Amino acid sequence: MAGRVIVITSGKGGVGKTTTSANIGTALAKNGHKVVLVDTDIGLRNLDLLLGLENRIVYTLVDVVEERCKLKQALVKDKKNPNLCLLAAAQTRDKSSVSAEQLKKITEKLKKDYDYILIDCPAGIEQGFQTAIAGASEAIVVTTPEMSAVRDADRIIGLLEAADGIESYKLLINRVRPNMIKSNDMMSVDDVVNILSCQPIGVIPEDTGIITSTNRGEPIVNNEKSLAGKAYINVARRINGEDVPFLDIDEPKNLVGKLKKFLCGLKKQGKE
Amino acid sequence: MEQYNDNVYLIDLGEINTAPEIIFELSSILDKEEAKNKRICLKLGNVDLNQAQILSIKSLISGIDSILSSIDTKSIETEKVALSLGIIVSNISAENSLEVAPTMPYKTADELKEEILSQEQKQSDIEEDYNIVEEVEESGENNSEHKPEIDEKTVKEEIKESEQNPQLEQQKEDFDKQNNEEIKTEDKEEVFDELDVIFGSSPAKNTFFDMESEQNKYEEKEELSDIIVPEQEYTKEDIELESFPTKYIKQTIRSGQVINYEGNIVIIGDCHPGCEITAFGDITVWGILSGIAHAGAGGNQKARVRALKMNAIQLRIANCYSRRPDSLNTVYIEKTNSFTPEEARIINGEIVVFKIND
Repeated sequence: MAGRVIVITSGKGGVGKTTTSANIGTALAKNGHKVVLVDTDIGLRNLDLLLGLENRIVYTLVDVVEERCKLKQALVKDKKNPNLCLLAAAQTRDKSSVSAEQLKKITEKLKKDYDYILIDCPAGIEQGFQTAIAGASEAIVVTTPEMSAVRDADRIIGLLEAADGIESYKLLINRVRPNMIKSNDMMSVDDVVNILSCQPIGVIPEDTGIITSTNRGEPIVNNEKSLAGKAYINVARRINGEDVPFLDIDEPKNLVGKLKKFLCGLKKQGKE
Repeated sequence: MEQYNDNVYLIDLGEINTAPEIIFELSSILDKEEAKNKRICLKLGNVDLNQAQILSIKSLISGIDSILSSIDTKSIETEKVALSLGIIVSNISAENSLEVAPTMPYKTADELKEEILSQEQKQSDIEEDYNIVEEVEESGENNSEHKPEIDEKTVKEEIKESEQNPQLEQQKEDFDKQNNEEIKTEDKEEVFDELDVIFGSSPAKNTFFDMESEQNKYEEKEELSDIIVPEQEYTKEDIELESFPTKYIKQTIRSGQVINYEGNIVIIGDCHPGCEITAFGDITVWGILSGIAHAGAGGNQKARVRALKMNAIQLRIANCYSRRPDSLNTVYIEKTNSFTPEEARIINGEIVVFKIND
């Protein structure tokens, strides 16, 4: 078995790298793939919190690198899904504890036993970023429809193109607000894609449920009703090679909204 | 049997239940070429080995130029002996499997009690033939059934009864000793707990407890003045614990901060999630403990962790690991002026959290 190593990166902080990692990982594992999530954000780890595995971590990535334990021992199994494992980052160390070569070695080992190895990259373009992308052959660049995030994503794409080993990269646009796009207050998905000239692999709508799910340690893909959850499941299926149409994120859920949309449509028709 | 590294060689004798068989099996395994020049991890089942037996195993292994690096055993007796010989006692099986190492959430005293109760019921179903055992169990069950109404007097009476019964005294001399020691040190509810342990569990386990505090001791002594209190026996470990140096830290320990000390640690302040405190002796937190605490890191099973509010992500004492129960996943702990101090210690190989005062 030769697994795919995918790094999830963004450049800018706070755009949802960790949330994306946790949700895509969980969604892939739900579809029956063997997935291992590697948190490389040493010193500021959060992935364990999002998965609700904080209390189960004994050994971390740094322990594996410094040979205090076996790789197998450091893999924390998910509470619900036995296909999903987490290799947590150390909280009490810093980014210099793991080098690019060391992480590459670990991903090579993990490739043998797992279908997908998702690497959660730290923010920034320094050593932590260089370490995280070392073992990966594919990348997902997370961005939000804000100018600052798009600029940083552009910088990251440039670095990814220059890096050896990264064969392909895809764009994931997070925290999209259809209503703001309509009122021209936010860049549309097409705008972002045009600026970055990079193919999107998914569009995730803004969802307040993300905050609740982070606090509870329960990825939002486990919530069937959530639109963001559905969007993440679709991203996971696209990663797996399936052809899934993009989700219609601006469809309002409630009856009033639907009626409004219908009336608006009539109005437009009338004008024409 | 499984070789999982160039240097480390794991020998699994977990299925074998007698000491001679272990030595026989081991010597046949050690004849193999691949076991030579290795660090050997020995996995044993529930077999009590004495010092001489472990020493002979050690010499067998050193005879083929290998080193006995660690022993994994289910028996507390073997563990103690191995520790006294300076051999690392680890739990390879739990760590080596894909299962997470701290699979057990830490228990509260009530949970322990419930578990013991259910075990008692199972035992009484099986062991109906043994009259004495049944008697003991009955008294234990009665005791716990009426637990909420019972006050100290009833306990006292029950203990007296059990002392007056000559059969019981002969049978359970050790238990009485333990009784007195424990009663002296534990508070009311804990007395019930410990009694349950004493009456319920069939193999006697030597669990001694340190003196809690002078005041506590005094009160309990008054209540149970009828009972002859044997002289407090200090084990070597107890004395070691008390003679450890103590470090005082007056600050909030934040995420990512690590505190290591070869002695006792007292922290005046909170310990936030993500911090790690490791001490050879006890850990006392005058505040909310939310990080990882490892007491008795040198292998001292009697070390304890105390905190005004116990919310630790993980509690580790000696080589026992436990994690916070998932049900306790709260976003934050409200800071109030009224806390219920809690203490964690090892009971029968598991970490149990006791409320110090109710």
